[in-house]
Amino acid sequence: MADDPKTPQEIWALIERADERVKYASNRDEKAAYGQARELLNQAAAAAKAVPGAEKLAEQAQIRLDDLAKLESA
Amino acid sequence: MKIGRQKDDLGGRVPPNQRLTRGWPVLHASPVPKFNPAIWSFRVWGEVENEIELTWDEFQALPPVQTQSDFHCVTGWSKLDNTWDGVSFRTVADRAAPKPTATHVLIHAEYGYTANLPIGAVLDDDVLFAWSHDGEPLEPQHGGPLRLVVPKLYAWKSAKWVRGVKFMDRDERGYWEVRGYHNKADPFREERYSWQE
Repeated sequence: MADDPKTPQEIWALIERADERVKYASNRDEKAAYGQARELLNQAAAAAKAVPGAEKLAEQAQIRLDDLAKLESA
Repeated sequence: MKIGRQKDDLGGRVPPNQRLTRGWPVLHASPVPKFNPAIWSFRVWGEVENEIELTWDEFQALPPVQTQSDFHCVTGWSKLDNTWDGVSFRTVADRAAPKPTATHVLIHAEYGYTANLPIGAVLDDDVLFAWSHDGEPLEPQHGGPLRLVVPKLYAWKSAKWVRGVKFMDRDERGYWEVRGYHNKADPFREERYSWQE
């Protein structure tokens, strides 16, 4: 795993990478893509709680983790 | 009726930090829904004089339009010179007759996906509900049977699998706009993220 993100920009970059994993999942192994997205989002959520000024990004990560749970149960 | 741009060079047609693609990447944030024309419906409601609900046959009987336009995805690719067939947004709006209080629309699609737009953006001549792309029926993975096409904005505003439009007297952020993406989404201004607003 890469170093933990240390700025809001780096955290958002992780979230955006997770979004792309989900958006393009139908082109590859969906289960694997969703797993990669979850890993990125968990990393983003943990970092957001530790980085001052990044609280909203923790919420963004959680929204997507909830989306993923719905996708996987659909 | 045919609306669209004339062929020209690429000068000014590709927004910053976009790369051209000849293919058409498939991306979406939900499963591809199954289409059943017997139960499909399209609803227009909210700040309108005439709420309407159309079957698939009724929707296809609306006056058709053909447009040619470019398509820009926030993930970084652009696809030029797309030919779309469908029904212009304006045709649908004319039937519903928006009230003077209507300032925005919220597009509703399968699985609860939404996209918000100001009225001014959707009444452009190049905005349509499309059922065909480059002369072929719109494939399900690209939004078939029906998707919105808003060429001047990043493609998440061009909702796939649309099922209705709510006219509103205020703005309300849609699916990706709630998730940190830009409310306006102009690709030539690179309006990608909400923190730019």
